[in-house]
Amino acid sequence: MIRFSNVDVVYPGGFQGLKGVDLTIDKGEFVVIVGLSGAGKSTLIRTINGLVPYTSGELTVGDEVVDPTSKGKIRRLRSSVGMIFQSFNLVTRISVLNNVLVGRCSSTPAWRSLLGWYRAEDKELAFQSLERVGIVDKAYNRASALSGGQQQRVAIARVLAQDPEVILADEPVASLDPPTAHRVLQDLRRINRELGITTIVNLHHLEMARKYADRVIGMRGGEVVFDGPVEEATDAAIEEVYQRSLTAGDAAPESAAH
Amino acid sequence: MSDSSSKTPQNPPTPGGESQPTTGQYKPDMLDARPVKPSKLGYNIALLVLGIVFIAAISATGADWGRLVQLPGNMVNYFTLMGQGVAQPLTAEVQQHWLSAFDNMLESVQIAWIGTVVGALFSLPMGFLAARNMTPLPLYVVVRFILSVIRAVPEIVFAIAIMLPIFGLGPLAGALALGISSIGTLSKLISEAIEGVDQGPLESARASGATQVQMIRWAVLPQIMPEVIAIWLYRFEVNIRASAILGVLGAGGIGSLLSALFGVRAWDRIGITLVVIVVVTIIIDQISAWIRHRVIHGAPKKEARAARERDDSDGVGVPPAGAHPI
Repeated sequence: MIRFSNVDVVYPGGFQGLKGVDLTIDKGEFVVIVGLSGAGKSTLIRTINGLVPYTSGELTVGDEVVDPTSKGKIRRLRSSVGMIFQSFNLVTRISVLNNVLVGRCSSTPAWRSLLGWYRAEDKELAFQSLERVGIVDKAYNRASALSGGQQQRVAIARVLAQDPEVILADEPVASLDPPTAHRVLQDLRRINRELGITTIVNLHHLEMARKYADRVIGMRGGEVVFDGPVEEATDAAIEEVYQRSLTAGDAAPESAAH
Repeated sequence: MSDSSSKTPQNPPTPGGESQPTTGQYKPDMLDARPVKPSKLGYNIALLVLGIVFIAAISATGADWGRLVQLPGNMVNYFTLMGQGVAQPLTAEVQQHWLSAFDNMLESVQIAWIGTVVGALFSLPMGFLAARNMTPLPLYVVVRFILSVIRAVPEIVFAIAIMLPIFGLGPLAGALALGISSIGTLSKLISEAIEGVDQGPLESARASGATQVQMIRWAVLPQIMPEVIAIWLYRFEVNIRASAILGVLGAGGIGSLLSALFGVRAWDRIGITLVVIVVVTIIIDQISAWIRHRVIHGAPKKEARAARERDDSDGVGVPPAGAHPI
């Protein structure tokens, strides 16, 4: 489904985001990527939908080679690859329904979306997406009137409205409280199971990663340093990814001890 | 962890009787680790330069401040005449004066309104072209340059140099002159609003395959529209004053009336006209300011907050059992 062969990403400033990544992700997998901040998790995810162009190697999504230089091809790719973000990225001043309909943009003619005149079947799809995340009663509310967890579920509905083959989630629960975070991840997990959508999630929380993932990928310095089924992602294995103890931050520094 | 939790906050035994009884770990030599206060030299120099420029500007105007104190005697005389004009009993003739002042003021407001609408129509697309995050660099530079030229030229010059040969000097010329000159400032302010837009919604729209036009429509416009409307309204307020001045040059409206009255030194009617100008301008300013406030800050703030608090307590995402697969 998604295949990285020796993919490098070098940012314009010269920073190397990914180093020789080789990775194959099968259809319907629920993959969680772990690693410290700056390890290249976001870069990996954003390479898949072309938000970050890769600079060498080859990346295929579905049957198509991702071509960061072709605007049209990238747009077609993005229409089948949905993405949700840490900060939800909803347009807070428009209604929940209109936010979800942004997911239909790629298959809507320009004049229709300019006037906000979506086809009936697009609206139906948007409503079904909202129903799937249990938030359809808020369809006509302004997005700003929703709580964080609700906003993230609207973002999931927007992605579902794209009818995607892949869902990318970049730290989707990092700004949510734990119970809400679990609810959002449960939604993603359920959608992954029910619709067979390949799902790739960046997470900081190990317990959450273990609870929801089929497969865990560990990253450090832009490289994939761990890749295995969730059962193999033991504390020892993750400490190896982090190159430090999981509780390192808890230990009191020498100078402060008395 | 365990020893820190057993520590009691009050009354810890501090060996040596140091001046910080509450924190056991405190050591005076930690002072060395404190950062040095950042220099404010640049800020202070800027303040000083500003002060010098201000004083220099005052002295450069060469105004004779002494004369400000001794108001010319005839000025008092004129004000008295104007006051008498405003206070005189409403005979049919005086009523006529008030009505004609009001009619002319309405014409000025109309001129200002047409000018604002013209400016508003063009300023939105121009604002996008002048926003660095929406437009390729070469086009951006060109548009910015055109806009700054427009802003540098006073309305009066537009009215005389461009509109006069085409339309003759009248209300239409005045309105169009105001319109062009509005485009300059409005586009600049709108482009700044666009540049300050939250990038998050743009990124999510881009990630779902939206085109540039769709991103503008659904991610940028909803964010900037309240600010844009406020900017337009504010320009309307400015244009009302500007149209009165253009009128003095013959572009119609209250300014034309005023200059005619000055010609015949009809101080009583000048007083009436000035009162009409001030009252109408204040009323429109107040209404416009109220609308701007509503648009920017949103109307029912209390309700929105209450709704959010209500939602936070439930918000459980149980999907309906029979949800269709999509």
